[in-house]
Amino acid sequence: MRRYETIFILRPNVGEDEINKIIESTTQIILNEKGSILEMNRWGIKKLAYLIKKESLGYYVYSDYAGTPAAVTEIERKFRIDDSVLKYLTIKTANSITEEGIQEALVAISAKETAKLEDEETEDVDSDEAEEENNLDETE
Amino acid sequence: MAQRPQKKLFTRKKSCRFCGEKDLTINYKDVKTLRNFVSERGKIIPRRIVGTCATHQRQLCEAIKQARQIAFLPYSGSTQG
Repeated sequence: MRRYETIFILRPNVGEDEINKIIESTTQIILNEKGSILEMNRWGIKKLAYLIKKESLGYYVYSDYAGTPAAVTEIERKFRIDDSVLKYLTIKTANSITEEGIQEALVAISAKETAKLEDEETEDVDSDEAEEENNLDETE
Repeated sequence: MAQRPQKKLFTRKKSCRFCGEKDLTINYKDVKTLRNFVSERGKIIPRRIVGTCATHQRQLCEAIKQARQIAFLPYSGSTQG
């Protein structure tokens, strides 16, 4: 079992159903190959650094999983067929991952998420300031 | 052996930011950090200018190229819009 992370970009105008369907099918492929999902995160619509298939925005989905090389090739084959997937990138983050490793990673990820939530709560107060800074950057 | 002539007085000692700040990691998803190491045109800034060490420059280079593939960073030119 290896650990991979895959980011894929969907067209911004596809509906929620379509997004759910794609995520569902990739999850299914990983599970069929006896892999396990560590994280499946929707980053939402972001601006692309350059045009891809004449789209300037893209819906990013990030997934972190333990799986086999066969699962990866299958997922990528599906992505290439699917018209709503603009681009994908799979990166191997670990050569081998054991059952214990998977459990540890799950714990680490959930800990990170709770920390993030707490962070957001505290940061809400000075979010206005941050926004102002961003605006300044853009005008420069 | 004769002593080497002294270097120019004005050169500032460059140091590798990734060696100095231990909590700074190189990751292709961390666009904010990577932005510091590309020019306005989107080119990777050479080591002799930014002063990163060889090991980190290599990792940085890889990360920037991966970020370009997934449209976090532009291949050339500034970001659209």
